[in-house]
Amino acid sequence: MYNTKIKILNASVRLFNENGIDSVRLQQIADEAEISVGNLAYHYKSKDVLIEAVYERIFEEFHEIFRHYLKRPDLADFDIQISIYYAFFSKNRFYLSEFFKANNTTAPHYLQWQDCTAKMLLQLRSRLQFLVKNNELLPEKEPGQYELLAEQMWMSLVFFIPKSNMIGQQYDEISYKKNIWNLLKPYFGPEGLEEFRAMIVPVLF
Amino acid sequence: MKTRFNMDTKAYDTFLQGLNEQYFVEKRGNQSDFRLYFDDLWLADTAVIDDVHRSHGAWAVDLIFASIHNPLKFIKRHITTHSCPKRAAQQGEFMRRAAAKDQRGTLSVSVNPLQVCKN
Repeated sequence: MYNTKIKILNASVRLFNENGIDSVRLQQIADEAEISVGNLAYHYKSKDVLIEAVYERIFEEFHEIFRHYLKRPDLADFDIQISIYYAFFSKNRFYLSEFFKANNTTAPHYLQWQDCTAKMLLQLRSRLQFLVKNNELLPEKEPGQYELLAEQMWMSLVFFIPKSNMIGQQYDEISYKKNIWNLLKPYFGPEGLEEFRAMIVPVLF
Repeated sequence: MKTRFNMDTKAYDTFLQGLNEQYFVEKRGNQSDFRLYFDDLWLADTAVIDDVHRSHGAWAVDLIFASIHNPLKFIKRHITTHSCPKRAAQQGEFMRRAAAKDQRGTLSVSVNPLQVCKN
Protein backbone atom coordinates (compact mmCIF):
# COMPACT_ATOMS: atom_id res chain seq x y z
CA MET A 1 0.00 0.00 0.00
CA TYR A 2 2.82 2.35 0.89
CA ASN A 3 4.56 1.62 -2.42
CA THR A 4 1.42 2.56 -4.32
CA LYS A 5 1.23 5.87 -2.45
CA ILE A 6 4.86 6.60 -3.36
CA LYS A 7 4.19 5.59 -6.98
CA ILE A 8 1.23 8.00 -7.11
CA LEU A 9 3.21 10.87 -5.58
CA ASN A 10 6.13 10.33 -7.99
CA ALA A 11 3.77 10.22 -10.98
CA SER A 12 2.03 13.40 -9.76
CA VAL A 13 5.30 15.32 -9.41
CA ARG A 14 6.39 14.19 -12.90
CA LEU A 15 3.11 15.38 -14.44
CA PHE A 16 3.01 18.62 -12.43
CA ASN A 17 6.51 19.42 -13.72
CA GLU A 18 5.46 18.82 -17.32
CA ASN A 19 1.99 20.39 -17.37
CA GLY A 20 1.46 22.42 -14.20
CA ILE A 21 -0.84 21.45 -11.35
CA ASP A 22 -4.09 22.84 -12.81
CA SER A 23 -4.03 21.00 -16.11
CA VAL A 24 -3.35 17.52 -14.73
CA ARG A 25 -6.38 15.22 -14.23
CA LEU A 26 -6.59 12.28 -11.84
CA GLN A 27 -6.99 9.95 -14.85
CA GLN A 28 -3.60 11.10 -16.18
CA ILE A 29 -1.97 10.53 -12.80
CA ALA A 30 -3.50 7.04 -12.59
CA ASP A 31 -2.24 6.24 -16.11
CA GLU A 32 1.25 7.53 -15.28
CA ALA A 33 1.36 5.49 -12.06
CA GLU A 34 -0.03 2.46 -13.96
CA ILE A 35 -2.95 1.96 -11.58
CA SER A 36 -6.73 2.37 -11.92
CA VAL A 37 -8.52 5.60 -11.00
CA GLY A 38 -10.43 3.60 -8.37
CA ASN A 39 -7.17 2.56 -6.75
CA LEU A 40 -5.97 6.18 -6.88
CA ALA A 41 -9.21 7.36 -5.23
CA TYR A 42 -8.75 4.71 -2.52
CA HIS A 43 -5.39 6.21 -1.57
CA TYR A 44 -6.23 9.89 -2.16
CA LYS A 45 -9.88 10.90 -1.95
CA SER A 46 -9.56 13.98 -4.17
CA LYS A 47 -7.06 16.00 -6.18
CA ASP A 48 -6.79 18.54 -3.34
CA VAL A 49 -5.77 15.80 -0.91
CA LEU A 50 -3.22 14.53 -3.43
CA ILE A 51 -1.76 18.03 -3.92
CA GLU A 52 -1.57 18.41 -0.14
CA ALA A 53 0.35 15.12 0.10
CA VAL A 54 2.71 16.17 -2.71
CA TYR A 55 3.48 19.46 -0.97
CA GLU A 56 3.94 17.74 2.36
CA ARG A 57 6.50 15.36 0.85
CA ILE A 58 8.30 18.24 -0.87
CA PHE A 59 8.62 20.15 2.41
CA GLU A 60 9.89 17.01 4.12
CA GLU A 61 12.57 16.72 1.43
CA PHE A 62 13.41 20.41 1.79
CA HIS A 63 13.85 20.04 5.55
CA GLU A 64 15.97 16.95 4.96
CA ILE A 65 18.42 19.14 3.01
CA PHE A 66 18.70 21.49 6.00
CA ARG A 67 19.74 18.54 8.15
CA HIS A 68 22.86 18.18 6.00
CA TYR A 69 24.21 21.46 7.35
CA LEU A 70 27.80 21.22 8.58
CA LYS A 71 27.98 17.48 9.18
CA ARG A 72 31.70 17.83 8.59
CA PRO A 73 33.77 21.01 8.83
CA ASP A 74 35.13 20.91 5.26
CA LEU A 75 34.24 22.12 1.76
CA ALA A 76 33.21 18.65 0.59
CA ASP A 77 30.34 18.87 3.09
CA PHE A 78 29.01 21.96 1.31
CA ASP A 79 29.53 20.23 -2.05
CA ILE A 80 27.28 17.38 -0.88
CA GLN A 81 24.60 19.87 0.19
CA ILE A 82 24.74 21.59 -3.23
CA SER A 83 24.26 18.17 -4.89
CA ILE A 84 21.16 17.58 -2.78
CA TYR A 85 19.84 21.06 -3.65
CA TYR A 86 20.32 20.21 -7.33
CA ALA A 87 18.45 16.91 -6.96
CA PHE A 88 15.63 18.68 -5.13
CA PHE A 89 15.20 21.67 -7.46
CA SER A 90 15.54 19.62 -10.65
CA LYS A 91 12.96 17.10 -9.41
CA ASN A 92 10.40 19.66 -8.23
CA ARG A 93 10.51 22.29 -10.96
CA PHE A 94 6.77 23.03 -10.85
CA TYR A 95 7.02 24.77 -7.46
CA LEU A 96 8.31 28.03 -8.97
CA SER A 97 5.43 28.54 -11.39
CA GLU A 98 2.99 27.68 -8.61
CA PHE A 99 4.73 30.09 -6.27
CA PHE A 100 4.62 33.00 -8.70
CA LYS A 101 1.05 32.52 -9.82
CA ALA A 102 -0.31 32.21 -6.27
CA ASN A 103 -2.79 34.99 -5.51
CA ASN A 104 -3.52 33.73 -2.05
CA THR A 105 -0.32 34.62 -0.21
CA THR A 106 -1.67 33.25 3.06
CA ALA A 107 -2.08 29.70 1.67
CA PRO A 108 -0.25 27.23 3.99
CA HIS A 109 2.10 25.89 1.32
CA TYR A 110 2.96 29.45 0.18
CA LEU A 111 3.92 30.36 3.75
CA GLN A 112 5.93 27.14 4.08
CA TRP A 113 7.86 27.96 0.90
CA GLN A 114 8.66 31.38 2.32
CA ASP A 115 9.79 29.80 5.58
CA CYS A 116 11.98 27.20 3.82
CA THR A 117 13.63 29.68 1.47
CA ALA A 118 14.29 32.08 4.37
CA LYS A 119 15.95 29.23 6.29
CA MET A 120 17.99 28.32 3.23
CA LEU A 121 19.35 31.88 3.04
CA LEU A 122 20.14 31.86 6.78
CA GLN A 123 22.04 28.57 6.40
CA LEU A 124 24.11 29.94 3.53
CA ARG A 125 24.97 33.07 5.54
CA SER A 126 25.85 30.98 8.55
CA ARG A 127 28.04 28.63 6.50
CA LEU A 128 30.00 31.57 5.11
CA GLN A 129 30.52 32.83 8.67
CA PHE A 130 31.79 29.37 9.63
CA LEU A 131 34.19 29.25 6.67
CA VAL A 132 35.58 32.68 7.66
CA LYS A 133 36.05 31.51 11.23
CA ASN A 134 37.74 28.33 9.99
CA ASN A 135 40.19 30.47 7.94
CA GLU A 136 38.94 29.06 4.65
CA LEU A 137 37.46 32.36 3.50
CA LEU A 138 39.18 35.74 3.79
CA PRO A 139 37.81 38.11 6.43
CA GLU A 140 35.21 40.61 5.19
CA LYS A 141 36.77 43.60 3.42
CA GLU A 142 33.54 45.57 3.64
CA PRO A 143 30.70 45.02 6.08
CA GLY A 144 27.84 43.01 4.56
CA GLN A 145 30.07 41.54 1.83
CA TYR A 146 29.29 37.94 2.72
CA GLU A 147 25.63 38.69 3.26
CA LEU A 148 25.49 39.83 -0.35
CA LEU A 149 27.42 36.74 -1.46
CA ALA A 150 24.98 34.49 0.45
CA GLU A 151 22.09 36.14 -1.41
CA GLN A 152 23.83 35.62 -4.75
CA MET A 153 24.42 31.96 -3.91
CA TRP A 154 20.80 31.58 -2.86
CA MET A 155 19.63 33.08 -6.18
CA SER A 156 21.87 30.68 -8.10
CA LEU A 157 20.73 27.63 -6.14
CA VAL A 158 17.04 28.45 -6.65
CA PHE A 159 17.00 30.02 -10.12
CA PHE A 160 19.82 28.32 -12.01
CA ILE A 161 17.55 25.62 -13.45
CA PRO A 162 14.67 27.97 -14.49
CA LYS A 163 17.26 30.38 -15.96
CA SER A 164 18.85 27.57 -18.00
CA ASN A 165 15.41 26.51 -19.24
CA MET A 166 14.53 30.10 -20.18
CA ILE A 167 17.60 30.64 -22.32
CA GLY A 168 17.55 27.09 -23.70
CA GLN A 169 20.84 26.15 -22.09
CA GLN A 170 21.66 22.57 -21.19
CA TYR A 171 22.34 22.02 -17.51
CA ASP A 172 23.51 19.20 -15.32
CA GLU A 173 24.70 18.72 -11.78
CA ILE A 174 28.29 19.68 -12.68
CA SER A 175 27.34 23.04 -14.26
CA TYR A 176 24.99 23.75 -11.33
CA LYS A 177 27.72 23.11 -8.78
CA LYS A 178 30.40 24.94 -10.80
CA ASN A 179 28.18 28.02 -10.83
CA ILE A 180 28.07 28.08 -7.02
CA TRP A 181 31.77 27.35 -6.52
CA ASN A 182 32.70 30.08 -9.03
CA LEU A 183 30.85 32.58 -6.86
CA LEU A 184 32.77 31.46 -3.80
CA LYS A 185 36.23 31.07 -5.40
CA PRO A 186 37.42 34.74 -5.30
CA TYR A 187 36.92 34.84 -1.52
CA PHE A 188 39.09 31.84 -0.57
CA GLY A 189 42.09 32.40 1.69
CA PRO A 190 45.31 30.36 1.23
CA GLU A 191 43.97 27.44 3.34
CA GLY A 192 40.60 27.45 1.63
CA LEU A 193 42.17 27.60 -1.82
CA GLU A 194 44.38 24.63 -0.99
CA GLU A 195 41.41 22.60 0.21
CA PHE A 196 39.36 23.69 -2.80
CA ARG A 197 42.10 22.56 -5.19
CA ALA A 198 42.49 19.25 -3.38
CA MET A 199 38.82 18.32 -2.87
CA ILE A 200 36.60 20.19 -5.33
CA VAL A 201 38.66 20.97 -8.45
CA PRO A 202 39.51 17.30 -9.30
CA VAL A 203 35.79 16.43 -9.30
CA LEU A 204 34.27 19.49 -10.97
CA PHE A 205 36.80 21.45 -13.01
CA MET B 1 -2.07 20.22 5.99
CA LYS B 2 -0.70 19.66 9.47
CA THR B 3 1.04 22.78 10.77
CA ARG B 4 4.70 22.01 11.06
CA PHE B 5 6.70 23.12 14.07
CA ASN B 6 8.21 26.37 12.98
CA MET B 7 11.29 27.88 14.53
CA ASP B 8 11.46 31.66 14.58
CA THR B 9 14.01 33.09 12.11
CA LYS B 10 16.05 34.74 14.84
CA ALA B 11 16.08 31.56 16.96
CA TYR B 12 17.11 29.53 13.90
CA ASP B 13 19.97 31.94 13.24
CA THR B 14 21.17 31.57 16.85
CA PHE B 15 20.85 27.78 16.53
CA LEU B 16 23.05 27.83 13.40
CA GLN B 17 25.63 29.96 15.20
CA GLY B 18 25.66 27.31 17.93
CA LEU B 19 26.25 24.59 15.32
CA ASN B 20 29.11 26.63 13.86
CA GLU B 21 30.63 27.01 17.32
CA GLN B 22 30.58 23.31 18.10
CA TYR B 23 33.60 22.68 15.86
CA PHE B 24 35.64 25.19 17.85
CA VAL B 25 34.54 24.69 21.45
CA GLU B 26 33.09 21.18 21.87
CA LYS B 27 35.10 18.20 23.06
CA ARG B 28 34.63 14.47 22.85
CA GLY B 29 31.83 13.00 25.01
CA ASN B 30 32.02 10.18 27.55
CA GLN B 31 30.95 6.56 27.23
CA SER B 32 28.17 7.28 29.74
CA ASP B 33 26.60 9.69 27.24
CA PHE B 34 25.40 6.63 25.33
CA ARG B 35 23.24 5.47 28.24
CA LEU B 36 20.11 6.57 26.43
CA TYR B 37 20.65 3.73 23.95
CA PHE B 38 20.30 0.95 26.53
CA ASP B 39 18.69 2.55 29.58
CA ASP B 40 15.01 2.04 28.74
CA LEU B 41 13.65 1.12 32.19
CA TRP B 42 11.83 4.43 32.34
CA LEU B 43 9.47 3.11 29.65
CA ALA B 44 7.80 0.99 32.39
CA ASP B 45 6.57 4.21 34.00
CA THR B 46 5.00 5.88 31.03
CA ALA B 47 1.51 7.04 30.21
CA VAL B 48 0.28 6.23 26.71
CA ILE B 49 -1.35 9.01 24.70
CA ASP B 50 -2.89 8.48 21.27
CA ASP B 51 -2.31 11.15 18.66
CA VAL B 52 -4.46 11.13 15.53
CA HIS B 53 -3.47 13.76 13.01
CA ARG B 54 -3.63 14.51 9.33
CA SER B 55 -0.51 13.51 7.44
CA HIS B 56 0.17 12.93 3.74
CA GLY B 57 -3.52 13.34 2.88
CA ALA B 58 -4.63 10.65 5.36
CA TRP B 59 -5.10 10.21 9.12
CA ALA B 60 -2.04 8.94 10.95
CA VAL B 61 -2.29 7.20 14.34
CA ASP B 62 0.71 7.69 16.63
CA LEU B 63 1.22 6.58 20.21
CA ILE B 64 3.20 8.75 22.60
CA PHE B 65 4.83 7.14 25.65
CA ALA B 66 5.49 9.92 28.15
CA SER B 67 7.26 9.45 31.47
CA ILE B 68 4.92 10.10 34.41
CA HIS B 69 7.76 11.72 36.36
CA ASN B 70 8.99 14.00 33.59
CA PRO B 71 6.55 14.42 30.69
CA LEU B 72 9.30 16.03 28.61
CA LYS B 73 10.87 12.57 28.41
CA PHE B 74 8.80 10.77 25.78
CA ILE B 75 9.00 8.68 22.63
CA LYS B 76 6.56 8.68 19.75
CA ARG B 77 5.80 5.67 17.56
CA HIS B 78 3.79 5.61 14.35
CA ILE B 79 1.17 2.86 14.42
CA THR B 80 -0.97 3.03 11.29
CA THR B 81 -2.66 5.27 8.72
CA HIS B 82 -6.33 5.43 7.70
CA SER B 83 -8.12 7.48 5.09
CA CYS B 84 -11.24 7.60 7.33
CA PRO B 85 -10.91 9.85 10.44
CA LYS B 86 -13.43 7.80 12.46
CA ARG B 87 -11.58 4.53 11.84
CA ALA B 88 -8.29 6.23 12.69
CA ALA B 89 -9.72 7.54 15.99
CA GLN B 90 -11.12 4.09 16.80
CA GLN B 91 -7.83 2.37 15.99
CA GLY B 92 -5.97 4.97 18.09
CA GLU B 93 -8.28 4.30 21.04
CA PHE B 94 -7.84 0.50 20.79
CA MET B 95 -4.07 0.72 20.43
CA ARG B 96 -3.80 3.14 23.34
CA ARG B 97 -5.85 0.86 25.60
CA ALA B 98 -3.81 -2.19 24.55
CA ALA B 99 -0.48 -0.43 25.11
CA ALA B 100 -1.51 1.20 28.41
CA LYS B 101 -2.39 -2.10 30.15
CA ASP B 102 -0.58 -2.11 33.46
CA GLN B 103 -1.15 -4.07 36.67
CA ARG B 104 -0.94 -0.84 38.62
CA GLY B 105 -3.83 0.68 36.67
CA THR B 106 -3.64 3.22 33.90
CA LEU B 107 -0.81 5.68 34.36
CA SER B 108 -1.35 9.27 33.38
CA VAL B 109 0.76 12.39 33.01
CA SER B 110 0.05 15.66 34.71
CA VAL B 111 1.11 19.13 33.69
CA ASN B 112 2.34 19.85 37.26
CA PRO B 113 5.86 18.31 36.92
CA LEU B 114 6.52 20.80 34.12
CA GLN B 115 6.13 23.70 36.59
CA VAL B 116 4.72 26.01 33.95
CA CYS B 117 5.13 29.69 34.77
CA LYS B 118 1.97 31.55 33.83
CA ASN B 119 3.35 35.03 34.43
